[in-house]
Amino acid sequence: MTKYLLKRLLHGVISIIFVVAIVMLLIYSFMDRNLIFGSDSAYSHQKNNQKTSYVYQKWEDFGYLDYVPYSDYLKSLVSSGDMDEETYTAAVKLGQTAEKDSDATKEYVAQFTEYYESKGYTIERVDAVMQRRKVADGGASLLFAYKNIPVTTRLVKYFAGLISFDSVNAIEDIEGERGLTWTWYDPVYGGDKFSPALIGNGTKHKYLIYVDSRFPFIHQNMISINLGESYTVNQGIEITTTMTQPQGNTKKSLITYETGLEEMSADNLHSATYSATSYQDDPIAVARYTDNYTSVLLNRSGKSKLGYSFIIGIIDVVLAYLLGLPLGVLMARKKDKLIDKIGTVYIMFIIAIPSLAYIFLFKAIGGTVFHLPTQFDTAAEKWTMYILPIISLCLPAIAGLMKWMRRFMIDQMSADYVKFARSGGLSEKEIFSKHIMKNAAVPMCHDIPASVLGALTGAIITERVYSVPGVGNVLTQAISKYDNGVIVGITMFYAVLSVLALILGDVLMSIVDPRISFSSKDR
Amino acid sequence: MDYDLEQFGMSKEELFAQVDHNDLESEKITAPRYSYWHSVFRVFFKKKINIFILVLLAIIILLAYLYPLFVEYEKYGNLLDSSTKHLSPAKAIEKLGFSIHWILGTGASGESTWDAIWYGSRLSISLALICAAINMTVGVLFGALWGFSKKVDVVMIEIYNIIANVPYILVVSVMVMIISANFWTLVFAMTITGWLSIAYFMRTQVLIIRDREYNLASKCLGTSSFKIALKNILPFLTSVIMTVVATEIPSYISYEVFLSYIGMGMSDTSLGRMIYAAESAMVTPGWQFEFWSPVAVASIITVVLYVAGQNLGDASDPRTHM
Repeated sequence: MTKYLLKRLLHGVISIIFVVAIVMLLIYSFMDRNLIFGSDSAYSHQKNNQKTSYVYQKWEDFGYLDYVPYSDYLKSLVSSGDMDEETYTAAVKLGQTAEKDSDATKEYVAQFTEYYESKGYTIERVDAVMQRRKVADGGASLLFAYKNIPVTTRLVKYFAGLISFDSVNAIEDIEGERGLTWTWYDPVYGGDKFSPALIGNGTKHKYLIYVDSRFPFIHQNMISINLGESYTVNQGIEITTTMTQPQGNTKKSLITYETGLEEMSADNLHSATYSATSYQDDPIAVARYTDNYTSVLLNRSGKSKLGYSFIIGIIDVVLAYLLGLPLGVLMARKKDKLIDKIGTVYIMFIIAIPSLAYIFLFKAIGGTVFHLPTQFDTAAEKWTMYILPIISLCLPAIAGLMKWMRRFMIDQMSADYVKFARSGGLSEKEIFSKHIMKNAAVPMCHDIPASVLGALTGAIITERVYSVPGVGNVLTQAISKYDNGVIVGITMFYAVLSVLALILGDVLMSIVDPRISFSSKDR
Repeated sequence: MDYDLEQFGMSKEELFAQVDHNDLESEKITAPRYSYWHSVFRVFFKKKINIFILVLLAIIILLAYLYPLFVEYEKYGNLLDSSTKHLSPAKAIEKLGFSIHWILGTGASGESTWDAIWYGSRLSISLALICAAINMTVGVLFGALWGFSKKVDVVMIEIYNIIANVPYILVVSVMVMIISANFWTLVFAMTITGWLSIAYFMRTQVLIIRDREYNLASKCLGTSSFKIALKNILPFLTSVIMTVVATEIPSYISYEVFLSYIGMGMSDTSLGRMIYAAESAMVTPGWQFEFWSPVAVASIITVVLYVAGQNLGDASDPRTHM
């Protein structure tokens, strides 16, 4: 069993890598890069050569290529001490054409060209655009090197950076002694309440392990997952953070800072991360903190994107199974009777009608007839807001479960063991509940992990219609804004979930039905 | 010997009579005449609801394909007259005079909702039919090959395991993002991996009946694999294929509506595009007609196609021909 599972997991990992590679290839290599400027108003305002440099700058921001302007190269020389300021000012000025460069410039241009060409970059020089013997607006000459990042490098980099560990050597210049301190009395709670915490110095996060009142109560900051960084929607923020960060209004409470200052604030001290030189320059920080761990997140009243999607999703799954399976059984028992016909019509409508249509129908009926809130409001959360999204997700899920449960039951009804049981004198009720149902339920189990994990991916239409701030719209937003990093990350997220769901489904089936076994030994 | 046949209630014809031996006649096998397609239609039309569904389908197809030929749809015809925007049917008829154009009111730029719906339906139905045709042809043919050949199976099952991990909607959206949306790119996006699940389904179906005894017997008698596939297996799969078609065609219309709704559909008037454009009208009192009419028409089209397909699928199963 273990061996089989390991094999399946390995297969899963390989297919995840393939999927991510395919998506990377699609969006970074096959997509027309100029599409990203389609709705960019800054792009149309750029003129002449400035437009070229803007285009390359943006392409670097979106992760297509590595772009080094000549001046950046010189600046790096200055900061490494290979060049003084005076030479820099002399060398940085490019002539209108290559021939018109000054001697100092020529020397460094040659050096620049040689250095980057040896690294496989393409060097491009654009001559100045002249207008009435003067350099036109934005027409200054350009010199830069660029290199497309190959898919293999990108892939290796992505998977290498997927999981990162926080270590005591993460920050270079740190005051005080590096190390970890374990305390049973978390200073955030005043230092006398029992609450274990692991505090680091030299690590990126100050609190590595801590306890608070938020689900799942014990938190860690040691291992972080980096699925991909957003380029446009939430610039520079990693997707897992986008998905797990609480949203909504800030929630203030009385907190005690490290210096002993007590204040009504929304700062979440557990989220403190290192921010270089933030302590020295800032009187606000000095009044509150004792070191450079001053960058904190704010406490918010709402749940995270993942939280909302999961709550709605999981209630939907539970309700769907609680209602769908018994209804399917009922339809099978009353085959060709009225209840079976009503059920069939219902299933047919749900399958055939576009989901958008009935979701809007539920919204209209729920809003006007039952006066339920049709818009999700994170600021003033009420439990009634959840009803319509859950119903919209639940009714189609019930239809699907009814359809398959009925099918499996009816398939079992003509099996030999049922005839045998009947000839043995068992009552119809007993045959159904003890024999047919147990056998028909086995294939139904296979989908339970998929439904539960599916709750994490959110529902695109439902969340949009009821404006639920869930995960469902992360992907659509990313696609409409060409947020390449997020698209790759979400693909990875979906792929991991579906691989896990399949494996867990098989495991669950073998647990429920002892006849199903994966190892050859048991057979 | 002469019996009085009257007393047994028999006529003379019922008695045994001498027949001469005839080589040609003895080769004939008497069985009730059975024509497959004849039986399919007999079973199909036995259900009265099917006639109704077919009539409805015919009306929809005629409206979607013939109506736009005779009527020019002017989206911006009334653009300058702001009093013609967002009218309910009654007000539109009152304002613009009674004509078939205004029986569903007007839209955001004073255009006729009725005309727009049939232009949109034509595009949506065409998209669904073309996608279904491509996916079904490739899927069924490839699935049959996949089920037959063990070598293909080894490779394809790995490919399937990889691609099946990506949600279909993710594939379609990323494809649409890469090659910006118009009719043919949408077809491309929906068919590039769409056939794979159909092929997988067909593979399983072929595997189930490939090794049945009658096929084994056929093989022993020297029938070629191609003929086995065509004559022994395909008739078995007709009803299965029909059932798949019945679910596929409406699903492409739904996908188009979905893609348009999340803002990734084509910019031409399609049912999805209309629903997307009129979404805000749903909550505005008096404007609901322009939102609900495309939704209702899309639903009717999908339900009619689905029911017609399902019932045809049932009828094409030879087991129902008894």
